[in-house]
Amino acid sequence: MTTDASAISAAAPSPNASGGPARSLRRSFRFGDAMLGLVCRGSAAIIALMLGALVLVLLTSAMPAIKQFGLGFLVSSEWRVNELERPLKDAAGQVVMEDGEIVMETIKPAFGALPVIYGTAMSSLIALAIAVPLSFGAALFLVRVAPTLRIAGPLSFLIEFLAAIPSLAYGIWGLFVLAPFLQSHVGPAIKATLENVPGLRWMFYESVTIAGTVVERPIPITGRDMLCGSLVLAIMILPIVTSVSRDVLKAVPRTQIEGTLALGATWWQSCVAMLRYGRSGLFGAVMLGLARAAGETMAITMVIGNNNQINPSPFAPAQTMASLLANEFAEASEGLHQASLLYVALVLLVMSLLFNVIARRLVVGKASPAGH
Amino acid sequence: MSIIQRAAWVSAVGVSVVVGGGASTAQASEVRLGGAGATFPAPLYTKWVSEYEKVEPGIKIDYRSIGSGGGVKAITDKTVAFGASDAPLTKKEIEAMGGEDKIVQFPAVIGGVVPAYNLPGLSQPLNFSGDVLADIFMGKISTWDDPRLQELNSGVSLPKLAITPAFRTDGSGTTHVFTSYLATQSLAFKGEIGAGKQVKWPLGQGGKGNEGVAAVIQQTAGSIGYIEQNYAVANKIAYGAVKNKAGKFIIATPETMSVAGEGAATTLKGTVLRADIWDQPGDKTYPISAFTYIIVYKDLSNLKTDAEAKALVGFLNWAISGGQKFATDMDYAPLSSGVKTAVDTALSGLSHNGKPIK
Repeated sequence: MTTDASAISAAAPSPNASGGPARSLRRSFRFGDAMLGLVCRGSAAIIALMLGALVLVLLTSAMPAIKQFGLGFLVSSEWRVNELERPLKDAAGQVVMEDGEIVMETIKPAFGALPVIYGTAMSSLIALAIAVPLSFGAALFLVRVAPTLRIAGPLSFLIEFLAAIPSLAYGIWGLFVLAPFLQSHVGPAIKATLENVPGLRWMFYESVTIAGTVVERPIPITGRDMLCGSLVLAIMILPIVTSVSRDVLKAVPRTQIEGTLALGATWWQSCVAMLRYGRSGLFGAVMLGLARAAGETMAITMVIGNNNQINPSPFAPAQTMASLLANEFAEASEGLHQASLLYVALVLLVMSLLFNVIARRLVVGKASPAGH
Repeated sequence: MSIIQRAAWVSAVGVSVVVGGGASTAQASEVRLGGAGATFPAPLYTKWVSEYEKVEPGIKIDYRSIGSGGGVKAITDKTVAFGASDAPLTKKEIEAMGGEDKIVQFPAVIGGVVPAYNLPGLSQPLNFSGDVLADIFMGKISTWDDPRLQELNSGVSLPKLAITPAFRTDGSGTTHVFTSYLATQSLAFKGEIGAGKQVKWPLGQGGKGNEGVAAVIQQTAGSIGYIEQNYAVANKIAYGAVKNKAGKFIIATPETMSVAGEGAATTLKGTVLRADIWDQPGDKTYPISAFTYIIVYKDLSNLKTDAEAKALVGFLNWAISGGQKFATDMDYAPLSSGVKTAVDTALSGLSHNGKPIK
């Protein structure tokens, strides 16, 4: 009895003390592994499903417009929601009369996305042209100069803080501060300087067709135009591009920098080498900026002037795909108008996807293996 | 489309379930009603709701200003007790709601669209005419010192300043009224730009909503835009007089807009009342006036209880009688007596599940 009991009691704790916890630990590991695997696979699947569902919903909802306009939608610049009724004209341009009465023709609503595609591409490109050099400069400063001055911490915080400001705040600032300033100071100054420079007349004058005759008229400088929209976009993408570029440059191995310096590179040459080394990462930063610029809605709607037109002048109002949707979607009636807006959304989605894929192939494909 | 509709429907049902649940836990005698639609009369409707709660404390009405298009959608889907729209229902919309004999549509109040502008240093209101406004918005008249504008405003020194037209980018009753009026004044405008809730403007700056256009006008010297009269008053934006059919230059006021409605009173017949009251005859008529409408089902079976139906009818009848005095205070034009009679007749036929409402 006693021996049995002691044998049991002696035998019992031993597996508990050594093998027991280990086994239960292993079991919980297995369970955790399974759970983690499930969660990871599920999350990945959900992301893919979400994108798929998004494309599917856009595609089915835009179908009436896709059927009606096809790919011609992308190159047509007419965006007219209402029907027109006007006198029918024959081939010679004469008004057709029948029994002494003018024959009227009804012109159906027409939708084309070219002006908004132009507006999105142009405003994003100008924004990138302004923001990218500044961002790279700021990132280089943060990585190579600021640490020696002991201001890298506060500066980094400031940039991350800027990145977190809601876009509406930028829009309101653009509308109430930047636009009036551009209207009263910058625009007139540029006009006074460049107006008489040969070849730049298109910046300040537009040709409009009014009732069949072409008239040239000055573009009123209102402050809410392509220039203002691009500037606000540039300011908005500056923090995100800077902060990602800084992280990329930070990841450049110290040996690389020291190597360039050891080979006798100047500070400038060493920085260029650093940028070259991180080019695929830096490209990623630019892509993030482009994505934010192309998709930006509220701020751009407030400052770009909202006119569906293609005008090369930076002082002319324009419209982007996102601002068109913001302006019209809430009040869009059923039918072709709504379908056309969803078609625009689909184009925006596909365009950003395509651009990303192509650009990534172009640059990442050539990047050095160490670059990523 | 259908997916979006369904999503909207599901969310609306979800909301109404939540609201319904909340109501049942509140006082048993309390009746809750929902309305949605036009933004233009929203300040007045909100005032009506709060004033009516003083008259009938047990009735709570919630008006959401989501736009005329949204209002028509909501009443068609029966997610609200009443819809509100600046433009009358189209034939298609009437069909979608079940036909003309199933609907009551009536004008609730009158509003006017004014040409508002930003010309610093100008004290008196400018004079405009329909064809001059049409040519300004088409770009034919591009500076303020244009001889045709000067001719209407003799004695005023107009600046040599470029005109920047400002327009609505969203579909709106305001655009519908303004373009419909201009289309009657200029054949070229009718053929080039046309009339509708949303049109393609050849030049100028777009703004979303009355507030968007107002912002463009306030910030841009030399701009001219079209906004609701009470919006211009509330934001202290200068606006001009418009030449009416009788050749008189008239400033939009509750009185001059109300007169425009009276001219159309005899044409209001049946239960789906509609009348275009721009360009009406009469010496004192403001030419760019329009009704804004409330839309309900003739048989209020979209409401669950008799009490709800009774409450809605009570509110609507009060709005066109006792409520009208708040219109003038808030710079809307009240319905004139002839129009009110037609609305009374249309409202008298309302029922709930076939039973007349006492």
